[in-house]
Amino acid sequence: MSDQPPHVLVGKDGAPAPDRPWIFRTYAGHSSPRASNQLYRANLEQGQTGLSIAFDLPTQCGYSSDDPVARPEVGKVGVPINSLDDFHVLFEGIPLDRMNTSMTINGTAMWLLALYVALARERGVPETALKGTTQNDIVKEYLARGTYIFPPEHSLRLVAETYEYCVDHVPEWNPSNICSYHLQEAGATPLQEVAFALANAIGILDLLRERGRIDDERFARCVGRISFFVNAGIRFVEEMCKMRAFGALWDDICRDRYGITNPKYRLFRYGVQVNSLGLTESQPENNAWRILLEALGVTLSRNARCRALQLPTWNEAMSLPRPWDQQWSLRLQQILAFETDLLEYPDLFDGSPVVASKVAAICDGARGEIDRILAMGGVRGAIDAGYMKSQLVRSMADRMASINRGDQVVVGVNRWTDGLPSPLVGGDDGGVFRVDPAAVEEAMTALAATRARRDAGRVRDALARLEAAARSGDNLMEPSIECALARVTTGEWANALRGVFGEYRALTGIDGQTLDLAPDRLATLRARIDGFAAAHGHRPRLVVGKPGLDGHSNGAEVIAVAARHAGFDVVYSGIRLTPDEIVASAVEEDADLIGVSILSGSHLELTDQLMATLRRHGAEIPVVLGGIVPRDDVAELQARGVAQVFTPADYQLIDVVDRMMDVIEARR
Amino acid sequence: MLARLDAAGARRGRVVGVTGAPGAGKSTLVGELAVRLVAAAPGRAVAVLAVDPSSPVSGGALLGDRTRVRFPAGEPRLYFRSQAAAGELGGVARTTFQVCRLLTRLFDVVFVETVGVGQSEIEIVRVADRTYLIVPPLAGDHVQFMKAGIMELPDAFVVSKADVGEPASATFHALRASLRLARPGAEVPLHRVSARTGAGVDTLCAEILTGPAGAGVEARAAHFFERWVAAEHGRRGVARLTAAGGAAAYVAAHGGFEAAQAAFDGEVGA
Ligand code: B12
Ligand SMILES: Nc1nc2c(ncn2[C@@H]2O[C@H](COP(=O)(O)OP(=O)(O)OP(=O)(O)O)[C@@H](O)[C@H]2O)c(=O)[nH]1
Ligand SMILES: [Mg+2]
Repeated sequence: MSDQPPHVLVGKDGAPAPDRPWIFRTYAGHSSPRASNQLYRANLEQGQTGLSIAFDLPTQCGYSSDDPVARPEVGKVGVPINSLDDFHVLFEGIPLDRMNTSMTINGTAMWLLALYVALARERGVPETALKGTTQNDIVKEYLARGTYIFPPEHSLRLVAETYEYCVDHVPEWNPSNICSYHLQEAGATPLQEVAFALANAIGILDLLRERGRIDDERFARCVGRISFFVNAGIRFVEEMCKMRAFGALWDDICRDRYGITNPKYRLFRYGVQVNSLGLTESQPENNAWRILLEALGVTLSRNARCRALQLPTWNEAMSLPRPWDQQWSLRLQQILAFETDLLEYPDLFDGSPVVASKVAAICDGARGEIDRILAMGGVRGAIDAGYMKSQLVRSMADRMASINRGDQVVVGVNRWTDGLPSPLVGGDDGGVFRVDPAAVEEAMTALAATRARRDAGRVRDALARLEAAARSGDNLMEPSIECALARVTTGEWANALRGVFGEYRALTGIDGQTLDLAPDRLATLRARIDGFAAAHGHRPRLVVGKPGLDGHSNGAEVIAVAARHAGFDVVYSGIRLTPDEIVASAVEEDADLIGVSILSGSHLELTDQLMATLRRHGAEIPVVLGGIVPRDDVAELQARGVAQVFTPADYQLIDVVDRMMDVIEARR
Repeated sequence: MLARLDAAGARRGRVVGVTGAPGAGKSTLVGELAVRLVAAAPGRAVAVLAVDPSSPVSGGALLGDRTRVRFPAGEPRLYFRSQAAAGELGGVARTTFQVCRLLTRLFDVVFVETVGVGQSEIEIVRVADRTYLIVPPLAGDHVQFMKAGIMELPDAFVVSKADVGEPASATFHALRASLRLARPGAEVPLHRVSARTGAGVDTLCAEILTGPAGAGVEARAAHFFERWVAAEHGRRGVARLTAAGGAAAYVAAHGGFEAAQAAFDGEVGA
């Protein structure tokens, strides 16, 4: 026992010793493996202590860069990885055995892990030395993030097999990382975030147990490997309590449901990315303060402090961050950890009755919700029944409505909206990052070179072995590693499995949703729409479309719900459609308006494709577009034929629907 | 338009009603059936008309069935159209009958999907030549539910999502048992399919093409004419129609649905 007073944190030897800081991460990657490699090395020199890799959407959805659906998205929101050759470039000069590498990859997680293991083998690094995480949380992809490929049961099998492989071969790897971050970004309340994430973890562990391919000792280690990736919103006191609730519930689940006796394996290990949904396009400089406050929620309480933290940047709602923006956010972490006295104290909140009571309330609510999900057959049943997705859309609709009414204050958006112009957006680039198109060409050239160089026979054999294992139910990791070594491409790996497992479309969750909007303004809008219906013999018909690989569904869902709520007939078929499919729907349904939502940064390319398709059909249906559109692109989109452009600043849904009516009536 | 198509000897497609509880798997199945039907015969064309409930408050509808159906891009022999029920009882929109008549001139099979909530089974049976009730795998006691009312109407039954295993076969057997009670002596076809794995879908396709059908869509014009009169001309209109000898006689006398409409409008001076 130490004789220090309770406010002094002591080390093992009883002498005062501050904590080591959490891992500072910056989520990064774009353009090409080479450009990203430079970025990582620069960040590591800046004092960043781990790698967090963002992949582009084709890589995440299982397409090679030269696939037609991939083309507009290559290198846009992350780095394209087509083959093991790309991984060699991406990790050049980065020591694998000393790096903690986190990969935000899901639908193709097994493939990226196989590439990483193959890279280690070719570099002569023992697999056992690899440390890091593949996100590999497929359930939240169906619910919130959208980069799933196969039907749930097959996707879950891939997740289980990465656990079964890693537990023996890469013991320090976190095969998956249960993400509640994305659930909050899709609207989840703290209670839903906790409940859905834990139900998800239970789903994976139950599956591992059911499959029975690992013994109890290994199973216990798998439980110990489950880590979490959590969100932290602006209500930072509640968020701090949420982290404590998470820890308490997880400990219970591990002990009671899985009989884990070793407390080390029951530890709630988590990383954080703070909330980005609440970061605004209007008065973007305010976001710096939001990010700081959100960071406090996950660092203040020592017993519920995150293991790793990554922060968004002030211009989150405008574009991908520029290097300076990321540096600014990294500085926040450094100041918090090294200038303040935060790390010198034991837990500040132990013994607080306020905190204890709030934590208990979150735990109680979450337990009830977890039980409800388990009663539906766990997460798998709840995905098929659409329960969790529809709950999330419900929460998102409530959130938007409450901001619309002004009940939820968002400074600079619905309060204190007048302000001086921000010098941050005044620079030559307008505070916006643009991908260098030349770097994308580089990725394409590299892919062509790989295809030309590789041994076609070995590729064929590797793919045949992969397919055979997919059918027989053997673990797919080793066949995938052989594919990686043979220079199979990302698209080839995924296509082989598509052939066996098929593809999947998830439910949209918008059925039956309503919005609580200002009644008088809504009545005026409905009267306008009823007038249209009376004059034209049908209600205005809107096809809401999400072209390309972009999985951001919130905006499209909210617009579809708002339009229907106002009296439109609405067709919304979910994410990841081709411009062809969207136009075909609009033509067959005799739509009055097409509304596309694009947040991936590919709005110019996709607009061109859409307009060309409309012309090919000889259809004269007006098009509006919403999403993340840099200011300079608005006029450009209009020049290319888009009637109206909407951005996050257009948060008043009644106004948005009203403007859509303007467009429809202008054409009539 | 119809007259011209008829003169040109256009096809006379079969109208296939598909109904069942929300989420029963109707759209997914219809999509799969349509794709297989056109793939099986080079000249065959298939249309899907999906009717969705409208909100009683805003009047707007979410036309959601399309989401479940993925037709090969650019296949002209497949057509999908959504319709909002716009507050109609029975979930069959006022214009469904007319749209169907047009579609039967252009397509060999016209699927009409409606959400099965009580009344609508009755309406869909009137529109369609042959109606299928889709029954999802139900848990335990819910199977009993199936008895009341709706058992008498459909021409055939389909237990969907057979891939889920046990609950699907339990539902299948419970349904067969209740059918024996509800329709003794009748040979009511009972299918078990999975749109996801394709199991049983081809057998169902064959039955859809060859199963006994009603007298054709025209034969049901009287019912829909009466509905039209009620909607357009209210109670007075209906009284007038009754006085004129009823819908069937009126349609027959004027030589068809559109002609009867025109004549009636003329009479009441609309
Ligand atoms: C929430 C969010 C997510 C969630 C999405 C959850 C979901 N199911 O939608 C999650 C966490 C899953 C996510 C993931 C990713 N995200 Co994200 N995400 C956001 C975030 C924070 C908010 C977007 C949002 O939902 N806003 C709320 C909705 C209601 O607003 P909205 O979509 O803008 O819609 C409004 C208007 O734009 C307009 N509107 C939009 N669409 C339409 C359509 C019509 C017809 C009309 C009339 C109007 C309209 O009206 C709406 C109402 O006001 C933005 C940044 C930001 N703050 O805006 C980044 C952002 C869009 N994401 C980004 C990225 C890069 C990603 C990833 C690709 C990262 C990666 N490499 O893996 C992934 C991949 C996702 C995928 N599959 O595509 C980038 C895009 C960069 C770019 N365009 O250049 C952004 C801008 C963040 C950033 N600065 O880096 N994301
Ligand atoms: N396991 C399984 N699920 C299926 C099958 N067919 C449909 N589903 C799922 O059942 C849900 C509902 O399917 P839909 O085709 O939309 O059902 P519906 O009857 O048209 O629904 P509504 O039009 O909303 O009443 C979806 O989640 C489908 O993925 C199947 O054959 N097997
Ligand atoms: Mg349907």
